[in-house]
Amino acid sequence: MGKNILEFRHVGKKYGDNVVLKDISFDIEAGKFYTLLGPSGSGKTTILRIIAGFDDATSGDVYFDGQRINDVPANKRQVNTVFQDYALFPHMNVAENVAFGLQIKGVDKKTIQERVHQALHMVRLDGYEEREITAMSGGQRQRVAIARAIVNRPKVLLLDEALSALDHKLRVDMQTELRQLQRQLGITFIFVTHDQEEALAMSDQIMIINDGKIQQTGTPVDIYDEPLNHFVADFIGESNIVPAVMKEDYLVNINGQDFECVDAGMKTNERVEVVLRPEDLDITTPDKGKLVATVDTQLFRGVDYQITAHDLRNHEWKINSIHKTTVGQQVGLTFDPEDIHVMRYNESEADFDARLDSYEEEE
Amino acid sequence: MKKHSLKWSTIYLAFVFIILYAPIIYLVIYSFSAGKTMESFHGFSFQHYMDLFADTRMITIVINTLLVALLASLLATIIGTLGALAIKDSHGKWRNSLMSLNNVLMVSPDVIIGASFLIFFTVLGVRLGFISVLLSHIAFSIPIVVLMVLPKLNELSPTLVDAAYDLGASRWQTLTRVILPAIGPGIMAGYFMAFTYSLDDFAVTFFVTGNGFSTLSVEIYSRARQGVNLEINALSTLMFIVSLLLVISYYFISQHAGRRHHLVTVKEGDAQ
Repeated sequence: MGKNILEFRHVGKKYGDNVVLKDISFDIEAGKFYTLLGPSGSGKTTILRIIAGFDDATSGDVYFDGQRINDVPANKRQVNTVFQDYALFPHMNVAENVAFGLQIKGVDKKTIQERVHQALHMVRLDGYEEREITAMSGGQRQRVAIARAIVNRPKVLLLDEALSALDHKLRVDMQTELRQLQRQLGITFIFVTHDQEEALAMSDQIMIINDGKIQQTGTPVDIYDEPLNHFVADFIGESNIVPAVMKEDYLVNINGQDFECVDAGMKTNERVEVVLRPEDLDITTPDKGKLVATVDTQLFRGVDYQITAHDLRNHEWKINSIHKTTVGQQVGLTFDPEDIHVMRYNESEADFDARLDSYEEEE
Repeated sequence: MKKHSLKWSTIYLAFVFIILYAPIIYLVIYSFSAGKTMESFHGFSFQHYMDLFADTRMITIVINTLLVALLASLLATIIGTLGALAIKDSHGKWRNSLMSLNNVLMVSPDVIIGASFLIFFTVLGVRLGFISVLLSHIAFSIPIVVLMVLPKLNELSPTLVDAAYDLGASRWQTLTRVILPAIGPGIMAGYFMAFTYSLDDFAVTFFVTGNGFSTLSVEIYSRARQGVNLEINALSTLMFIVSLLLVISYYFISQHAGRRHHLVTVKEGDAQ
């Protein structure tokens, strides 16, 4: 366990009658890459603004490096932000933009020059010092914004939807670069996004926010493989979410058919939901399949085919397959016990972890 | 076909500009005439210019006018810019009311404003003269400045201010190092507009000048009533040249500023 650089304790935020954040608590460990992931309006940007000091928490405490910082203004916090629209100063050139924070602090000219040079080198913009901001492309402006933030050597760097204005290819390149930059600098990055691919690709830890609450926290793999509830399963990746009944430990009944699974610790005949990822479903001949379904549509997406099919009880299934099939054809669907992930209704994150521990210890 | 229509539009444009500029050119030509009237041209001479420079009363009035214009536009720019900042920070109904109050001043007739200032100064017992003219010029220039600065403020991304705080700037540093430079072109435009409005104002000034103080427009008006003197032509020619220079210099200033101050927007693909 690393040291906590940032802690939220029961933080709430209201704008008038509008409740944006409800009792948010979390710890941020130093030197890791965190992502706050959620749909727009979920409150993720508000969390970022509270960390930066642009907004105040209505209730609760925020600790930075062990100190309560609720009353510390934004310009006194050791946090810097990369804004969604970059917020570069239009009347300054690249070097002046990057130097702004250091000039405000009264650092001497020679040091400023060195550090600006260094920062621009880190974002691979050597030689762009004298360029006007208007003469830079979107991707270059993004790098200037990052350089302007990291030149101040903050303990935490906040990135607010920082890549969403870039086109797809550039965005993917920047994801790799940001990750490298974070490792190189060794400081904490807190990245806000609504793009789950971005979150999965870059983060050490993802916090999924919806409706002003943290839905689930974990590594990308944990969250993808073991979503806690319907929202998380639906939001992260593609999924088939079906209602089911837990017959007994390691046996779940989906649409009247029993399947072996790897989940346990629930009540007998408890109503649950089951997640089956489309890429875990394999297409085979009808006699070999655990389910029999008829193919409705097929879309070629480059890496695979996205197929929808309906089974004998008219439930729809999404399947991602690298093999082609034919629309209208009857096929068998097969999957392994570990592909089934069972979710209980209204289970909290703590209960979920406790249940997982209880039966994993038995094994 | 296309060539044809282009030609007609060019002719039309030339025609419009000739009509607009003909009176001024007519006036400029006669300023060099040796005669006393504008009925016919009597040969080239600088006589009227000599008369003008010998006319100390006129020279004093020109200096007064410029002094009022410079001071009034400077003070109006400062007050107007602060006003625009305050309007920008206000919210909802309050903001709309402030904007409406500003716009009412813009559209109300100069005669009404002039008359109301006269009553106001008389009631307060302010002696009519330099101060009363200056104060009224400042007052009618403020709305112009607000109107020129506010759009620039609205164009500024709110994250720009957040970014300045984020980088450690105090409120004052944010204002002087980020906001004011970024809206600089608007402030400049406001200053020039206020300057020209003050320079050529007649109606308001006419009401609030007392004895012994006069501005150019009021003086020319009172002289023209006694029959046109070609000295006025000479003066107008000089004024015309000065305003031409002002326009040209403003053009170059804004051109230069435009290159740097152009608002940075997030648009993929520009200047790749």
